[in-house]
Parts: sequence; C-alpha cells; structure tokens
Amino acid sequence: MPELVVGDHKATETPALRSAGRAERRRYRAPPFVPLWALIGIAAAVALIGTYPYYGSNAYVLSLLGKFLCFAIFALSIDLIWGFAGILSLGQAVYFGIGAYFVALSLKINYALTHPTRYGGKFPDFMEWNGLTELPHFMTPLISTPFAVFCALSVPTLLGLLFGVITFKRHIYGVYCAVITLAESLILQEIIIEYQAYTGGFNGITDYSNFAGPGFLWFILAVVVVFLLIARALTHSRVGTVLKSIRDNDVRAEFMGYNVANYRIFVFCVSAFMAAAAGALYAAWVGIVSFLDAGPVFSIEGVIWTAVGGRGTLIGPFIGTFLVKGAEFFLSGALASWWQIIVGGLFIFVVLVLRDGIVGSIGNWIRKRKRGTTLHQLIEESDQKAHDRQLEWRPGGPPPTDEPVR
Amino acid sequence: MLQSIITQFMSGFSVVAILVIAALGLAIIFGVAGVINMAHGELIMVGAYTAAIVGKLGGNTFIAIPVAFVVVGFLGLIIERGIIQWIYDRPLETLLATWGVGIILQVVMKLIFGPELYYVGAPKILEGGFRMIGRLPFPWYRLFLIVVAILLLALVFYVIFRTNLGLKVRAVRRNRAISGCLGIDTARIDMTIFAFGSGLAGIAGAVLAPIKSVSTTMGFPYAVDSYMVLVLGGVGSLWGVLTGAALIGEAETILSFIFNNVIGRLLVFLFIVIIIRIVPRGIFGYYERR
Amino acid sequence: MSTTRRRILQTASGGVAAILASGVAPYGFVRNIVKAAESDTIKVGILHSLSGTIAIIETSLHNAELLAIEEINAKGGVLGKKIQPVVEDPQSLVQVFAEKAKKLLLDDKVAAVLGCYTSASRQSVLPVFEENNGVLLYPTLYEAQECSKNCFYTGAVPNQQLDDFVPWIINTLGRKKFYLIGANYIYPKETNREVKALLQKHGGTTVAEEYSPLGSTEFSTNINKIASSGCDIVFSDLVGDQIVAFYKQFREFGITAKDIPICTPITTEQEIAAMGPENAVGHYTSFNYFQSVDTPENKSFVERYKAKYGKDAVTNAVMEAAYFQTYFLAQAIAKAKSTDADALIYEGLPGQEFQAPQGKVKIDEKNHHTWLWARIGKANEKGQFDVVWKSEDWIRPQPWVPYLYPNKACDFSDKRVLERVKKPWSQEKNRSGTIDL
Repeated sequence: MPELVVGDHKATETPALRSAGRAERRRYRAPPFVPLWALIGIAAAVALIGTYPYYGSNAYVLSLLGKFLCFAIFALSIDLIWGFAGILSLGQAVYFGIGAYFVALSLKINYALTHPTRYGGKFPDFMEWNGLTELPHFMTPLISTPFAVFCALSVPTLLGLLFGVITFKRHIYGVYCAVITLAESLILQEIIIEYQAYTGGFNGITDYSNFAGPGFLWFILAVVVVFLLIARALTHSRVGTVLKSIRDNDVRAEFMGYNVANYRIFVFCVSAFMAAAAGALYAAWVGIVSFLDAGPVFSIEGVIWTAVGGRGTLIGPFIGTFLVKGAEFFLSGALASWWQIIVGGLFIFVVLVLRDGIVGSIGNWIRKRKRGTTLHQLIEESDQKAHDRQLEWRPGGPPPTDEPVR
Repeated sequence: MLQSIITQFMSGFSVVAILVIAALGLAIIFGVAGVINMAHGELIMVGAYTAAIVGKLGGNTFIAIPVAFVVVGFLGLIIERGIIQWIYDRPLETLLATWGVGIILQVVMKLIFGPELYYVGAPKILEGGFRMIGRLPFPWYRLFLIVVAILLLALVFYVIFRTNLGLKVRAVRRNRAISGCLGIDTARIDMTIFAFGSGLAGIAGAVLAPIKSVSTTMGFPYAVDSYMVLVLGGVGSLWGVLTGAALIGEAETILSFIFNNVIGRLLVFLFIVIIIRIVPRGIFGYYERR
Repeated sequence: MSTTRRRILQTASGGVAAILASGVAPYGFVRNIVKAAESDTIKVGILHSLSGTIAIIETSLHNAELLAIEEINAKGGVLGKKIQPVVEDPQSLVQVFAEKAKKLLLDDKVAAVLGCYTSASRQSVLPVFEENNGVLLYPTLYEAQECSKNCFYTGAVPNQQLDDFVPWIINTLGRKKFYLIGANYIYPKETNREVKALLQKHGGTTVAEEYSPLGSTEFSTNINKIASSGCDIVFSDLVGDQIVAFYKQFREFGITAKDIPICTPITTEQEIAAMGPENAVGHYTSFNYFQSVDTPENKSFVERYKAKYGKDAVTNAVMEAAYFQTYFLAQAIAKAKSTDADALIYEGLPGQEFQAPQGKVKIDEKNHHTWLWARIGKANEKGQFDVVWKSEDWIRPQPWVPYLYPNKACDFSDKRVLERVKKPWSQEKNRSGTIDL
C-alpha cells in the first residue's frame, strides 16, 4: 500500500481513500532537517556577525552584538515552550538570571583575588561593604569557574524540572501558569535584592573581567548554532509533533494517549537549560548582572521579542530580538520616549494583526502561495472538517472517511 | 510593646484596605471576562494623576473619586473597544496586548506630565489622627481608606448580586453562548464590565494618591499586589478578594514588624506560591470545567 | 476581525516591516555620516536619570548642566567650538547606567561625562571609565573612601558635611539618641558607619539602625518602631522617592519636628517641593549650599535657573555642584587646550577655581575632590531652608575619613600612584590614587 505523508504524519491508504478523487491525494515530502534557505541564511548571518570585529570599528556595537545573541538564545528558549508547546511562562528570566549570577559570582570572586578592594580585602567589594569579613564558605567552590559553569547550567535545569513537575502534574496551565511564573520571577528578584551581601543586591555584580572579544563572539555563535540544531531536532521529530498537538489541543492529545504532563516537563527543562546557557554567556560577555536580569520585566521582554519575530518558528526569536533591540539602539536619546510608544504599539499590533510574528507571517505567505492555505487556516479547516464529518455521520452508515487535508 | 503590636495590626487593616481597593477592579475584569489586564497598574496611575489635576483645579479627594471613576472608566472603554474585544478567545495574548497598552499609557503620561513626582494632598478634614489604643495616633486618612474599601466591596456586591445588570453579568460568566442565545448582548456586557473595572481602578488611584507618591511608574507594584491577591484568594469571587487581601495585608505587616520590610514581603510571596501549588485556583476560586 | 481585513493588514504590515528592515540599515549609515559632520563641536555626555525612583532629584542635575552649557555657549563656547550635550537617561537602574556610559564613551566619543547621583550608579560606571580612560565629573555628596584617576568629585565628602553636622546636633540641638534609617546600598551603610564613629567621639548613642530597599514607599512599620524606640532624633539616609513617602507618613503619624526631628545629609528643596513644605517644616539638612544662601552669585544663579525652568523651580546643593562642575570642565578644556582625557586629568582639571553660588570652590590639586563650604539648614514653611550654621572658611576635602582610616590618603602627585595609573589597562587595572601613609 503506498504510503501517504500528510504534513508530518504518515497515514496508510485505506480503500476509502483510494476511491477518493485524484485531486484529493497529494504527495508530500517531509521537510528536510535543515532547509537550504535556512542553511544559507544562517551561515551568512553567522559570517556577518562573527567577522564584525574585523571590519567594524565600533566597540560599542560589538558589545551589543554579543548581548543581542544572548538575548536571542533566551527568546529561543521561550519560543520552544510557548510556540511549540503552548506554555506561556512569564518567569523564564529566573533561569537566565540564575545562570548569569553563578558565572558572574565566579568571575567576580576570581577577579577579587587579584584585585583587592579599596580596603584591601581579597573578596568581592559588595560583600565587604555589607559587613562580611571574608568569602562565605558556601561560595568557595565557585572559585573554580568550570564548576560555576556547571552549576549555572544544571541548577536552573533542576529548578525547571521542579517547577515543571509541580505545575504540570497538577494541570496548571494557561493563565494561571503565567501568573504563577510571574510571581516566581518576582520572588527571585526580591531575594536577589534583599540578600545583597551575597548577590550584590540592587547594584548587581559589576566590575569583573569580562570576555568580550572576537574569540568569545565565535563561541557564542557556535552555541547559537548548536541550540538551533537541538531545537530543530526536537521540533522536527515525533516529540515535536506531539508537542505541537499538545499546543493545539491538549485534551485531545491526552485522549490520544500521550502523557501531556511529561512532555511539557521535558520541553520545559530543555528550555530552562537554554535560558541558563544564555544567562551564563551573557554574564561572561557583558560584565555586569543585576536583579533586572532575573525579573518579570525581562521575561516579558523575551516574550515580546518572540512574539514579534514569530513564535512557532525557530529563527523568529532571533529576528525579533535583533529588530526590537536594534531599533532601540538606533532610536535612543531624544526619540527614546517615542520609541517606547512604538514598542507598546508593536505588542498590540503583533497580537491583533501579525499573529504569527514577522517570520511566521512570511512563512504563512509562502505556504499560502504553495499550498493555498496558512497554518492557522490549516488547523481551523481540519478541525472544521472533522466536526462536519461527525455531524454528517448517520447511525448505521459508513464511518467518516479520513480525507487528507488540502 | 503590646501597644506597638496593636498599632501594627491596625495599620495592617489599612494595608488590607489598600489591597482590596486596588484589586477589586482587576478582580472584576479577570473574574468575569477572563482578561489578564497587565495595564491595571497604569489605570490606577491615570486615576492618581486625575486626582492630582482635580487637586490643582481646587477640588479635593472626595471630588476626585467620581471624576477618576468616569475618566478612567472611559479610558477602559476605549481600550476594550479598540483592542480587547478582538482577543477575548486568546487569554494569553490579552496579557501581551494589555502590557503594550500599559507601556503606552506610561510613556504618554510621562510626556504630558514629566517624570517628576506629583504632590496630591489629602483633604483637610481627614488630616491628623485620633488617639486610640496604640501609642501612635491612627491617621484619619487610613481609616477613610478602610471605609472606602468596605463601601466599594458593598457597591460591587450590590451591583453584581442585586441588580439586573449583575444578573446578566453572572449569566455571561457562567455560559456565554447560552446567554447570547437568551438575548443578552454579551458584547455590551463585556464593555460594561471592562469599563466598570477600569473605573474602580481609577478610584483606587485617586484614593491612594495622597499617601504614596504619584509618578508615572507607580502602577506596577499595585498591579503585582493585585495579582497576588487574586491568585491567592481565587478568581471570580468577592470573598476571594477579601480573603486574599486580608491574608496578604496582615501577614506582610506583621512579618515586616518582626523582621523587616523586605523579608516580610518575601515571605508573603513564598507563602502565596506554596498555597497556590496546593490550591491552584485560589482559596475561593471558581472551579469551572474546561 | 474579519479574515479579509486581517489579511490586508498583514500584507501591509509585511511591506512596512520590509521597508523598515531595509531602511534601518541605511539609517545607520546616514547616522554615522551625520555624526562625522558634527566634528566642530565638543561633545559632553550627560548621564542622569530622567525617569525612575531617583529622577526626582537627578532631573535637576541634568537641568543645571544644560543651563551651564547654554551660558558657556552664549559666551562663545570653548576653544572656539560650542559644547554639544549628549543626553542619556539611565532610568535610575544601575545596569543601564553602565550601558549608557559605554555608549557615551565608545559610540558618541564624548570628551567627558557629567553624571550619576547614587553611589551605586557611580560604582557601576567607574570600571567603564577606567577601562576606556574617560573622564567622569560626579557632583553628588558621597561616602568617600574612594579616588579614581578617571573621576572628579565635586560633591561633599563626610569631613565637609557630617563632621560638623553630628556634633552640632548633639551640642546645639541637644539630641543624643540617634535612630539611623537609610536606603539599602553602600552610601547609607558607609555613612552610618561614619556617623556611629562620630557619635562615639562626641558622646551620642545609636538606638537602632535600619535599611529599606531603594524605591520602597511603605514606612508605617518603621515609623512605629521609631516611636517606640525612645530615640530623640532620626538620622535619615533615605534617597529619592523614599524621602517623600517617609516625611509624609512621619507627619501622618503625628510626630512633629519638635518631638523627633529628622536630620539628613540628603533631603533638598527638590524633595520638599514634591512632598509639600508642611511635611518638612522644622527638620534639618546639612549641605554646602541652599537656595537661600546670600551671595550675589547665588541670587543671579537662582534668577537664571527660574527664568529657564519656571518660577516654581527650586535649586539645591547637588545641582549647584552640577552647575559649577560644568564650568570646571569648560575651563579645564580651555586650559589644557585639548579634549584628550589624560590632558584633562593631569593638567586641565586639578586646581581649577570658580566663584560658585555657594562661595569660591576649587578642585584640589592632588586628590580630585573639591574644596567646599559647609552649612546647616532648617526647613521652613515656604519650602526653603533657613541657614542656621555656616563654616567660617572653605574646607579641604579628605577622601579618606581620618577617624576611620588614619593611615590612608589620596594623592595623585605621588610618584608611586602616577607610575601605577599611567600603565596601560592590560597591565594594571588599579586606577585608584590611594596610598598608605
């Protein structure tokens, strides 16, 4: 029996199908792992950004490039859980912040060992003016930067696992999940501000050697590419398909036999890992972290970049981040206030009009030209057809046919 | 020592009142329409600025209250008609859209009024305090806040449970489709609810302006507190608002007295997160079938 | 929204986005060309928060600096060129301060930056200035114990403010039981250390010490504790919005300045204007300058400031420092005949003098701090201060508080220091002028 591939699913041909008209049958090839246009585009972008230190002279723009890349990885992590699994977490910055703080603390402690404070202590200055007389014992393992990086990646992932289990096993999602994650982000922010002897508090951790430079930029780009590949592998596989079905209708997925909670927890952990990596890179590149990097405002900004760029796509977060933050850089100064209004308007605009973001809308347009329908319509029409088929079925008659969707 | 504790307890009541006033508008919008209004803090801020203008024009807080209700209610109406009405079926995206509205409101107010703080005075009649059990005189204005909170709760209760409009609102909340079939204009109900909730936020701003400072960024903490109240107390229930506010307000005040401000707040947050893990919909939450 | 309408809007927006995306790139090029064309002005960065919790006071610093630049330009500018201010708003957030400082130094390539108010913001931008060899002029009173090669401090250090204030409170006001309350960052913590040392020296006691996070405005618990603690004076290092909330709630609870006065080195006419004079009557502030100071320079200064910013505008000590430090910068550029950072640091700025509204002021030749006058003021019903004490002469700044650190000093003429700070950044990251005596 010839195998029909419809979208990402495979369906065997039934007698009913064979008797359906030739116009109804369409042979689809599964989309390749990395489409050619994506390969060329990403290679070009990586080359453009990675060689900036050689052709560009503005050190400030270089520092921005690295920063934006870290933000874009953060946006990608949000896209993974929101665009592909339908979980809106307003507290993603928690993982970013914890990753950043681990690395920053380690770098600061190491910096302080060779650069004594104004009073001569060989430990971070913010600890000194808070009354500590020496490095707290529980922080001495952080002197080893590799260990700190390990903590920066593993602690947020474990935390994500914990949150995921508590939240998704109890079937809290949607609005309540969003608000609860918001609360958690706020709590972390307050903890950071309060325990300033250990975290630098309101002022954050500043003044430690940072790694901004061409070599590190290449490293960040490498991480970006690796994460893109991981995300593609995740979303392109069966797991990805299940996640998308959970996003669209989780009750239906549950009834089809998939353990929705486990899938959600899994993707939440991957996303936490990515956000933590982004935070660790950020701390090393920028040289200053503060409570802002762990707070709800930053989380929501990440959501916005993803929404603008296109959630449900993989390069959307990158486009969105660079567009929004890049424009902010160009339009700063006197136009800054007006820019804020534009940003606010952008959110509303993206929600009302550009529902799939920029990349998503472009994708829709292309898809429409090829297949004559957008992703949304595809889903809506599929639902509608299934609905109609159920209604049309008369008891005793033949079961509803499973037509491929055009 | 005992006197200090009693005074703390009493100012705790006023904190509870502040939370109730701030959260009530949000409770109505969230509870009935399911809209997460991230611009709630900014609506309160607009109410506070309205009170500032009323003060400059010679009025006082008592006049500012109805003025703020009308002004901010009208603003809410515009937001609802312009933006929210298209996205009722997508609750997560109302979050984003209203966040954008909040940003725009903040910046517009900053462009109009400048970033400095504004001074809004309490009415003369409410200045000073009265000596009661505690060592310090209890400010009249804080007592006024408690009274306003009770009045507002009573008002909302009356409107929702004793009027025709309230009946329709409750019907729409239970089952929108059937209510539509029965002839209730659901679009108008949504509009009314959003405007009413915004108006309440305006009142909150007008009433809270004299005790805190008025600036364009004052709204966010109130929005955060309101959400905590709702999440803890439960959405869709007036008892929930009261309970949530009472628990949070008193806990924060007492813990702040024992430890300090920040730890008090932190512990309250942790308490909330733990409670909602156990009772996800809040204490008095409306458990509806999905 | 109907599907057709949505599709039309989507197409249109796609087009707009494409235009924007393609247009943003050329805009960048145009911007660079425009910047290159501006080479016949001297660019000076202004880094003060115009929004956020500290904006209440930092906007006045920004305004004063712009006024000074206007006046200097009206007299012909410096070295034949006009001064062009490049304004950035760090929104009272320490992290944004560091970012904007980087932008000003690396992207706008300003000659110097006039900026910062809180010590937290200064500490976060200083590494940027030290790494990129920029010049920061810092107009705010602070806790001292610092002197960086790349920073010039035109605000008061404790020996020009606290050293006379605390003994005056104990001896003239007769109050000995201090309740210390401050914001939760380095300046209040260090200042309270200094206050406690002074109390020990002059016979006062500390009843309690409390810190409140920056930006918090709920003080009823603290006031309750103050009332039940038995203190007779509150020494406050609260900052920004907190000041307004604290004074208001203090009075709301019925405590008058006669019972327990609030004494602070921070509250200015600006915060009093925001809270209303009736909330501040009778409380004390110690500063180098008040709007009511009686010198001819001050009368003219206040007039000119009000002419530019409105008759309700008030002046205060920190913006007066911001004003005269702009003149210091202009004079330094003229003296060094260049905008190069090292020229300004070694030749232009040290030793500069100016007839400021508070009196004659001078940048010390050796330690990058400024000779200032000391005054104590009592707030009156008009929102102004009545000067109740004034120092006889200007006071030499001591960046290392002698009773806490008797064996440290700051000296940029010392050979060891010069050797150290002239090394390139990759070899030596310590830009401090501190020496052990």
